[in-house]
Amino acid sequence: MSTAIQIVDPLSGRPPRSAPLPPTASGLRPLALTTLMASAIALGAATDLRAETLLNVSYDPTREFYRDYDAAFAAWWEAEGHEAPTLETSHGGSGAQARAVIDGLDAQVVTLALASDIDQIATAGKLPADWQSALPHNAAPYTSTIVFLVREGNPEGIEDWDDIVGDGVEVITPNPKTSGGARWNYLAAWAWAEKDDRDPEGFVRELYRHVPVLDSGARGATTTFAQRGIGDVLLAWENEAYLALEQMGEDQFDIVVPSVSMRAEPPVALLEANIADDEERALATAYLEHLYSPEAQALAFKHFYRGWDSSAADPEDVARLPDLDLVGIEEMGGWAEVQPRHFGQGGIFDQIYVGQ
Amino acid sequence: MRALFLPRRSPMPGFGLSMGVTVTMLSLVVLLPVGALLWKGASFGATNLWEVVNRPRVWQALLLSFRLSALAALFNLAFGILLAWVLVRYRFAGRRLLDAAVDLPFALPTAVAGIALTALYAPNGLFGALAAEIGWRIAYSQWGIFLALVFVGLPFVVRSVQPVLEDMDREVEEASATLGASRWRTITRVVLPVIMPAALTGFALSLARAVGEYGSVIFIAGNIPMKTEIAPLLIVIQLEEFNYDGATAIGIAMLVLSFTLLLVINLVQIWSRRRIGYV
Repeated sequence: MSTAIQIVDPLSGRPPRSAPLPPTASGLRPLALTTLMASAIALGAATDLRAETLLNVSYDPTREFYRDYDAAFAAWWEAEGHEAPTLETSHGGSGAQARAVIDGLDAQVVTLALASDIDQIATAGKLPADWQSALPHNAAPYTSTIVFLVREGNPEGIEDWDDIVGDGVEVITPNPKTSGGARWNYLAAWAWAEKDDRDPEGFVRELYRHVPVLDSGARGATTTFAQRGIGDVLLAWENEAYLALEQMGEDQFDIVVPSVSMRAEPPVALLEANIADDEERALATAYLEHLYSPEAQALAFKHFYRGWDSSAADPEDVARLPDLDLVGIEEMGGWAEVQPRHFGQGGIFDQIYVGQ
Repeated sequence: MRALFLPRRSPMPGFGLSMGVTVTMLSLVVLLPVGALLWKGASFGATNLWEVVNRPRVWQALLLSFRLSALAALFNLAFGILLAWVLVRYRFAGRRLLDAAVDLPFALPTAVAGIALTALYAPNGLFGALAAEIGWRIAYSQWGIFLALVFVGLPFVVRSVQPVLEDMDREVEEASATLGASRWRTITRVVLPVIMPAALTGFALSLARAVGEYGSVIFIAGNIPMKTEIAPLLIVIQLEEFNYDGATAIGIAMLVLSFTLLLVINLVQIWSRRRIGYV
């Protein structure tokens, strides 16, 4: 029996093509989603009627990792004596994906960029509030950090955070209001300024003065920097930076690792409210728990994520991720405190642009 | 219902059925979503709505959206009339092709248009590089937004003016010439008044389209708050924060402004129609 894996993209993460009015009519959004889901389900049903299906709603930069992981997990699950599952993974901006789930997208697991996005889903009653204790390491099977991508040869001589606010240096980072990754960028700058005994608010304010374009997502910012040639330094997910090197040639960009950065923990969770029966629960639980297996951790390292268990990983994959001083979100008070203070309505980020 | 719409029985049959279908369709597609928006706004409260809208950043974004949309629609008005004139009055090789090309902005996904325009007008793009040499930044500035809005609104004026020009009798222009009017006078006093109502319709459509445009603009805008941030982006930002009320407030503000603008344009249209007496 062949394994059926489909990568569907019901919400591509792109903002709506034209939005003269916001889709606030909450009764109408599920309708559109239902249509999308119906087509997704129809696709799944065509390949195998009896197999268990699982929809994983994820964020943008995990595309390549979950493509490999889905194949590996399906093979492992079948080897364990189960029916080959139909695995679907949807990618998009983390916040948009969370909203889709809240509005009724029938996913069994979420693997998003920010714990605060999953907290929002918990607020809507789709999973228990203490979901982060269900799996090891705050339910984050892999972590990543924020690094600098600079142009070949590092012409601006950028080594650490204070260099990126130098005279005439242009910084590319997405809008933290619309991008999960951009929030980590912002917080990494903040963490460095705190450790360096500077006024973090002043430093972050200065940093955004050097930003000529605020893209809505991490991939968009990478495009602006790499394809459009805008800016001298891109603040990027470590895995995105390596991916850009891999895809666009190592002779175009260099990666610079700053002295301090954030330990970004993209968490995963089971959506209790969307689990139909015991079989589905078993599959979804195994899907998430297997992420911590040495085999899956090796895949994470391969895709430039920092896993917890490097026992089965290629030592070369592990060695290319250098050690640096990583600050966890809990050291800044956790998302419940950080989110409203920095990125909420009228928060510090809003004041950067308005309160001058 | 019947008493309301039909004071006297019309000689044309099928009114009840066609009206029923029309009202149902209109309700499902237009009235319900707009109603839901207003309903959501009403439950949020007028003072709260005003509080969300009455912030410098929101005003700045609304001003930017409406100002650039109006400029783009004006540009399209002038350029669209010219294009329609060329397509109707002259016969040249490739006319059909050009005619078909006018509709492309309708067919192309706006995201594709946005990315293509950005690639061309970014400082390392084909035209962007030329502009950069004279220190002119097009992409990631308000010029870029203007360009994208011109692109999406272009077909409206052309397509509304074209049939009117085609129907216009040449004899009218000839009469004007025989009576001694100069070519310029013929155009301003004879041709333009005839096509003006249609051109205004095109202008209004182009404006409305530009105000709501999102997909192509975000790629080329730069999206810097207070500088190149359009109002629809602010709405998306509110949604990203799970702040549905905030999004509703800005949505309603845009709705009210658009409605007022379209009303004014309609009045101008009625006035210009009365002035020339027909069409």
